[in-house]
Amino acid sequence: MIKAENLKKRFGNIIALDDVSFEVKKGETFGLLGPNGAGKTTTINILCGLARPDRGTVSLDGKTDPTVPEVRLSLGVVPQTLALYEELSAYNNLKFFGSIYGLSGQKLKERIKDCLEIAGLTQRSKDRVSKYSSGMKRRLNMACSLLHEPPILLLDEPTVGVDPQSRNLIFDTIEQWKQQGRTIIYTTHYMEEAERLCDRVAILDHGKILDIDSVANLIDRHGGPSHIEAEFEEKPDIEKIKPFVDDKDIQIKENVIRFKTGQPMESLARLNRSGFRFRTLKVQTANLEDVFLNLTGRRLRDQ
Amino acid sequence: MRKALLIAFKDLKVLASNKGNIFWVFGFPVLLALLFGAIYSGAGGEPSGIKIAVVDEDNTEFSGSYKSKLESYEALEIVYLPGDEAIEQVRKGKIAAAVILKNGFGDGFEALFNSDEPRLEIAADPSRKMESGYLQGLLAKAQFEALGDQSVDKEWMRKQIKLWRDDVENDSKLNTKQAKLYLDFINSFDTLLKDANGGTFGVDFKGDLMNFAKRDINRELKGPITSFQTTFSQAMLWGMFTCTVTFAISIVKERTNGTLDRLRIGPLGHAHILGGKGLACFITAVFVICVLYIIAKAIFKTPIGNLSLFILAAFCTVLCFVGLMMFISTWGRTEQSVGAAGWATIVIMAMLGGVTFPLAFMPSWLRPFCHVIPAKWSILALEGAIWRGFSFAEMLVPCLVLVAIGFICFSLGVGMLQRQDS
Repeated sequence: MIKAENLKKRFGNIIALDDVSFEVKKGETFGLLGPNGAGKTTTINILCGLARPDRGTVSLDGKTDPTVPEVRLSLGVVPQTLALYEELSAYNNLKFFGSIYGLSGQKLKERIKDCLEIAGLTQRSKDRVSKYSSGMKRRLNMACSLLHEPPILLLDEPTVGVDPQSRNLIFDTIEQWKQQGRTIIYTTHYMEEAERLCDRVAILDHGKILDIDSVANLIDRHGGPSHIEAEFEEKPDIEKIKPFVDDKDIQIKENVIRFKTGQPMESLARLNRSGFRFRTLKVQTANLEDVFLNLTGRRLRDQ
Repeated sequence: MRKALLIAFKDLKVLASNKGNIFWVFGFPVLLALLFGAIYSGAGGEPSGIKIAVVDEDNTEFSGSYKSKLESYEALEIVYLPGDEAIEQVRKGKIAAAVILKNGFGDGFEALFNSDEPRLEIAADPSRKMESGYLQGLLAKAQFEALGDQSVDKEWMRKQIKLWRDDVENDSKLNTKQAKLYLDFINSFDTLLKDANGGTFGVDFKGDLMNFAKRDINRELKGPITSFQTTFSQAMLWGMFTCTVTFAISIVKERTNGTLDRLRIGPLGHAHILGGKGLACFITAVFVICVLYIIAKAIFKTPIGNLSLFILAAFCTVLCFVGLMMFISTWGRTEQSVGAAGWATIVIMAMLGGVTFPLAFMPSWLRPFCHVIPAKWSILALEGAIWRGFSFAEMLVPCLVLVAIGFICFSLGVGMLQRQDS
């Protein structure tokens, strides 16, 4: 459905994309995860035709030129910036953007009504956008891209700066689109969003894709062991515990032990079967943050 | 075309939603027309002339008569001051000039024609050449009129003749033959005066020597009938200026807000987007001209010389400024930079294009630059249709220049916008 091959893009001395390639299947939600400046927005801009790559090609449903109007009709792009006319109402924004996609009459009215509901703005549809909160603007920003019901959606950090309520509304909407079989590319630097929404994720840093796979496979491959903190009812003998855990650097303090393991549940079950009695247990499994840390040596949020 | 219209109507909605924009685009030009129209027509107060101080050091009957003549001119506003104070007022720019009537000013013809020792002095700012020139004309006129009044007095004229006779007899530069010729004439004139009956004698210099009335008739035929004919064409230009800057800023605002990118990723070509922008500016500019036209006609009864030519001039003016708007929109990356560049350009255009004051006031070295100012051609075209009585052929030159400037600016603007966006 979407294919990017060997994309390269420079802005002066800065390499924005360096040989980026990926493929997204029909109905798949594909995440581009990386810190600010990793090249996520440049990738989206090239996919929708706003920017041209210095080298490489893109293909959207078999068509290689995304500037062709019929290709653009199949695309819904949610830009990172709030691309709205603040002087107009939500209704008039939707009406205008729907019109340029060829909607008119009853069909346009129905789509505006649906999109206002999706964005949770039905009650405030006649208010000027300048009076909206940033969460409301984000939701409208997204709704403006859905009017023409595109089969392909490109979402560029759609949850930046929004409140938890708006974020959940946006997630619910994206999950509905997934169920409708739309193909989605979702960029973010929040690993929780990628874990929740994406079937596969590409880890992007300094314009390069470091790895692509499902979240589980990426964690398995690069996430490292889980961290376990177990508090026992009595202070245990560390020599008796060592045979049951893989970690040679096991730490003990009073009746609390800490260790790392690639199979946390199995390790804990073995301890339990051997008669150790836990008072509290804290298991911290690896996540995409750890994947990024292990791949780049830096944390996502440190950028 | 439908897509360009959609963008144009959206822009008009955005414009209409902002009261500030509406004032600057529609209200400001109307206010300017009314304000300057009222000033130039003298409404709301007494007409003011050139303010001068008169210093009378002569204090004769003739100087009194001369001052009366000056006071009678509407074009002058006279104050009487001592010499030092009058000069100080000129230095401070509070009055245009000081006119000093020196001792001997009342000596009649002797004072008027004595080039060795002038009896009338004008102290004025040398930079105010136009006012000074006009003032010299009025002073000479008053002097001739005062002499005309005085010359009906036979005995006074015979005294003048005696002075001339003494001058000729004492002038060593004249040879005998020349001196005899002058003395024969003077003696004949004196004999005429001596024999003349007091009731029939009279010399009238007023009508024959300083006849300005005929020139006034010519000027009225060529000039505007009301001051609003001038100020409304200037107001239309101010309307074009504000439209140009407002829409130039709106293009940059689309870019900085990200809405331009949203339009570009829609099923629109660059031509639709920029065409729509140009169309919105065009519609607004035409609307501004229509509003001003209706006000000028309906409220101020301002005559429009030739309506067809006026429509042609207005159309070409609007085309020119739409092109200029597109070009100005590329002069910066932010609304602030484009706004500043736009207004700076407009101030220069207004000053050099004859919108704030007539081109005749420009120094000669600056006038060639005025030819590249679109406002100059717009004013010429609009005034040509409104009151200058241009023929269609005469109208072609300014109109073609306007269309050419508009086309060049539009092409440059579109090219640069496409380059910036890519």
